[in-house]
Amino acid sequence: MAAQKPAQQNDHPDKYTEFVSRGLGRDLAKRLGLPQPAVLRRYTPGAPLVQGPILVVGHTEGSDAVASVLLSWGQDVRRHATPKEKLGAVVLVLDELAHPDQLSAPLREVGAALRDLNRNGRIISISGQVRSDDAPEVAAARNAVDGIMRSLAKELRAGSTANGVVLANGVLANAPSALSALRFFLSARSAFVDGQFLTAAAEGTAVQQDWDKPLQGRVAVVTGAARGIGAAIARTLARDGARVVVVDVPAAGDHLAAVANEIHGTALQLDITVTEAGARILDHAAQRHGRLDIVVHNAGITRDKLLANMDPGRWDSVIAVNIAAQLRMNQAFLASSHFTDNPRIISVSSTSGIAGNRGQTNYAASKAGVIGMVRATAPLLSGKGGTVNAVAPGFIETDMTAKIPFATREVARRLNSLQQGGKPGDVAEAIAFFASEASDGVTGNVLRVCGQNLVGQ
Amino acid sequence: MTADHVLTEMPSLSKLYVNAAATAARARIKRVEPVVALPPRALEVRGVTADLARLTQFQHLMGKPARDVLPSGYIHALAFPVAMSVMVQEDFPLPLLGMIHLRNQVDHYAPVLFTDVLTIRSWARDLAGHRAGTQVQLVVEVRNSEGTELLWRGVSTYLAKGIYLPGLDKPAARPAGAPRETFSPPRPTAQWKLGVDTGRAYAAVSGDFNPIHLSVLSAKALGRRRSIAHGMYAASRVVSDIGSPKPDAFSWDITFESPVFLPATVSLHIADTRADDGGWLGSEFTAWNARSARLHFRGSVAAGTKQA
Amino acid sequence: MSSPTAENTARPAANRGIRKAVIVGGNRIPFARSGGAYAHASNQDMLTAALDGLVARFGLQDEAIGEVAAGAVLKHSRDFNLTREAVLGSALSATTPAYDLQQACATGMEAVIGLSNKIKLGQINSAIAGGVDSASDAPIAVSEGLRTILLDLNRAKSLTDKVKILGRIRPKDLSPDAPSTGEPRTGLSMGEHQALTTAQWKISREAQDELALASHKNMAAAYDRHFFDDLVTPYRGLTRDSNLRADSTLEKLAKLKPVFGKNLGDAATMTAGNSTPLTDGASAVLLASEDWAQAHDLPMLANVVDGEAGAVDFVHGKDGLLMAPAFAVPRLLARNGLTLADLDYLEIHEAFAGTVLSTLAAWEDEEFGKTRLGLDGAFGTVDRSRLNVNGSSLAAGHPFAATGGRLVATLAKMLSERGQVDGRPARGLISVCAAGGQGVVALLEAR
Repeated sequence: MAAQKPAQQNDHPDKYTEFVSRGLGRDLAKRLGLPQPAVLRRYTPGAPLVQGPILVVGHTEGSDAVASVLLSWGQDVRRHATPKEKLGAVVLVLDELAHPDQLSAPLREVGAALRDLNRNGRIISISGQVRSDDAPEVAAARNAVDGIMRSLAKELRAGSTANGVVLANGVLANAPSALSALRFFLSARSAFVDGQFLTAAAEGTAVQQDWDKPLQGRVAVVTGAARGIGAAIARTLARDGARVVVVDVPAAGDHLAAVANEIHGTALQLDITVTEAGARILDHAAQRHGRLDIVVHNAGITRDKLLANMDPGRWDSVIAVNIAAQLRMNQAFLASSHFTDNPRIISVSSTSGIAGNRGQTNYAASKAGVIGMVRATAPLLSGKGGTVNAVAPGFIETDMTAKIPFATREVARRLNSLQQGGKPGDVAEAIAFFASEASDGVTGNVLRVCGQNLVGQ
Repeated sequence: MTADHVLTEMPSLSKLYVNAAATAARARIKRVEPVVALPPRALEVRGVTADLARLTQFQHLMGKPARDVLPSGYIHALAFPVAMSVMVQEDFPLPLLGMIHLRNQVDHYAPVLFTDVLTIRSWARDLAGHRAGTQVQLVVEVRNSEGTELLWRGVSTYLAKGIYLPGLDKPAARPAGAPRETFSPPRPTAQWKLGVDTGRAYAAVSGDFNPIHLSVLSAKALGRRRSIAHGMYAASRVVSDIGSPKPDAFSWDITFESPVFLPATVSLHIADTRADDGGWLGSEFTAWNARSARLHFRGSVAAGTKQA
Repeated sequence: MSSPTAENTARPAANRGIRKAVIVGGNRIPFARSGGAYAHASNQDMLTAALDGLVARFGLQDEAIGEVAAGAVLKHSRDFNLTREAVLGSALSATTPAYDLQQACATGMEAVIGLSNKIKLGQINSAIAGGVDSASDAPIAVSEGLRTILLDLNRAKSLTDKVKILGRIRPKDLSPDAPSTGEPRTGLSMGEHQALTTAQWKISREAQDELALASHKNMAAAYDRHFFDDLVTPYRGLTRDSNLRADSTLEKLAKLKPVFGKNLGDAATMTAGNSTPLTDGASAVLLASEDWAQAHDLPMLANVVDGEAGAVDFVHGKDGLLMAPAFAVPRLLARNGLTLADLDYLEIHEAFAGTVLSTLAAWEDEEFGKTRLGLDGAFGTVDRSRLNVNGSSLAAGHPFAATGGRLVATLAKMLSERGQVDGRPARGLISVCAAGGQGVVALLEAR
């Protein structure tokens, strides 16, 4: 009976994308050589994982194991391409790669299959992590995969993406962690993730997973949840079965209440910069739900100014909210007995934190800081079966970006391989993936959700 | 009282006012010699009952719930045409129009229900000189239909301003050397905000369409600068306001000191007197203009009645 | 709904004893000075917002609550079922029953006490008590003349009758009747009444200004230390009470001209600074049995121990319009074997600074204690450091029916934070005066 329905996230493509997707608009765009962004297929519970058979390329034990897992997921698996048969995805298993010479055959097989790839298709590599103690030819071959997939991502059209799973030392291609990452990349949950890699840092433990309700029984807290990306995260976690505590500053309490009521969660009005913020969240989660499993640090502010003109207020407030508060709260969470059952921390970073941005030294400091924090926190959590990861959104269509002047916004939107802005839900899907118990072992990652933005990695 | 004259029906107030106007006009034309005696007869109307709709309007105008018992002020209004009839008789010595209400004393012996059939009797008495003219008292008695039980008795004192009848002594304006009584208002316990339509509203429920109460124009025709609230509106309202502590039998007395020109904000002080056991003995009231602090009226309500 | 739910299977009458009623928490929207942020919001809008915030805070979406009771002092006739309509518009289950009640400014208090009693008796397991008022969107009625004509018109059968009736309409009938805050029986405004009481108890202008200043300072400090973070949900862009003046000073207050009691002869002492302004706002409090709160994993801040209503004969009696609590509190405390000194917190509604100070003066007055309260001497002295410590109505404003909910939620949280005092639960008193010479007071105790 919610009287006050909060504005649903906008799931429609932008007007330009809509225009060039059919009829006259499509023809016009083709002739003029204008960008032709595809309408991306996005996740809905119950929909097929991919649209068509999955071709598994590779002839290793690992590739066989991956193929049999895909079969067990009810997928239509091909070990050899059937000409003219439309494919939903290609999984390129390169787990035993030892020399760049070994790339030729499998890559040509992939190349041949590309013309049969369906719209919104998926190309996913599985390869070993480059380590300093690798033999030079092994390291060369493994790092070559990085270049291949990032380039391929730029070649693909019609909403198709190319991403890779990287296996840490000793992690098999069919390890639970690797499979969780593979499944995410295959699915429509990764619609706006392109040219990216996820590292399966540890084997992970196999869990019985209800793939439609992967977060069933889990308790999550999302900061900055009153609007935009935070609200979308809360909605997505709730959709996936989690009980969600939504947190935002008291001044945003009305929007926060609307989100809580929509997703049947609880609203906690809290300034996360106060010393006891972590304890307040723990008390609330423990009192209402008996536990805390998932923490999403989404709250963030911008106070842009060139460094020459930066005042202490702008600098300090950005650092306080965007990174210092997370560090302090994480200490409280890590020390709590309520945060011990496969705990998950996911921080929202930013493209600015990776590539830098003019006028955002403070913001980039905080968001790059988040990345450092994630890497250093991963080992602290792995002992408890916990993971910590970051998601770095690129251009996401929100109320905030809607305020950017039209021309600037149009350019910013198209500056990525998918030639469009992402949706708040795209960020949320990545977070939900990290949050699931199946993603055990997937830790220390910074996943960009940017449609392979031209800026940065 | 020598002889009673029984009227066959309740006189119409509006006709009485027309008659009064006609009498006044005739008197002016004929310059009849003034009579210096009051009519020797009482007038009586039998079989009178309250009009339920008008009673309800009256009660609501006083801000009180509609009850079956007639408010004391309403009985005055109900009986007023009989008193008027006394005053419009050919041999009544004073002109009715422009007469000023000075005082009202009422003994309310028993509750009167709207279903009660009443006998109303009225006569004039005590024609006397006043420093500003000539005053007269109108007595009204309300009894049960058989006329055997006195229920209500009111004595109204009126002043015919500027009318001096031969043979009546004019009292001294003020005893020599006596200072003019100064009035300093007490703490207000209530406030009435009276709109310009207060006179018309009371006229509508009481039937007293005396022009000085109705509008600025009609009041000016009678030499007043603005319309004036009915004295009986003030009396009825203050007696109503004192409200529920009153026993079945009570009396009240109100003296009008200065007219309430409309619109007006009237401040009131109402103070109860109680017995040691907390029982209500009576209330005193004073009312004055909230802005100018001019005294408008004062009086009292007390438990019990004087023996008839 | 035919199947029994956890809520309507409360407890069979046979084995009902008196059980505890607990305060889980509360929510209100920031209070706005009339004509401000909520100028166009109706009572139903604001009450729904307060309920939705409460639902969000405690995760009550689609929950069937035992009963919701709320009211408004200034209520439009179209809002005959205001609370039920607000429930239907909220995120609560549509199977939640609701009723309106009204006891002037004590409406919210009476809602809390009445519903607590139902919980104590086992008739319901959960309840929401609330209140709302809008001085901006106050109902305006047609004039009495026009109303009568329209009603007659409705009853008329023939066209001729209708035309005749319509012919009765006069221009003056068309001007509307706005509600008055004056007492119907005296015609005096509440401020004028309080001015009489303030003068009667010889309360100085300085004392009133000091109390007003303390209210603003205390409330601003409470906001600054995040005390209200889980008591207030913003609405219509307002995040704090718009009447709150954190930067108020005695000098500023001293400059204000008196607005009430100007005809009293003595110097008038009551100003816009030490009187509450007309305010818009809404509040709601979640009440429950211990079992229900535990089953729903909800906090329990305080128990509703007891409540008492009182009234004085202000019309022509000796007592001021707003002095009923001066009588009700001694009765309530005596019944519970307590004195003023046994209270850790006192929340005395600041209708006017003079109201609070007159009440305190009466309690300190030996004569009043002996002759009016029937005690051996003065009732007692209030430790001012325990009085309205997080500010009260002078700072927050006073949307009549919403004040009770504000006070109950605030005190419950204060008691919960205080916990135990000398080995017993912290105790607090709420006192609210109301129009018509009434007052409702309640005793709460920390869990």
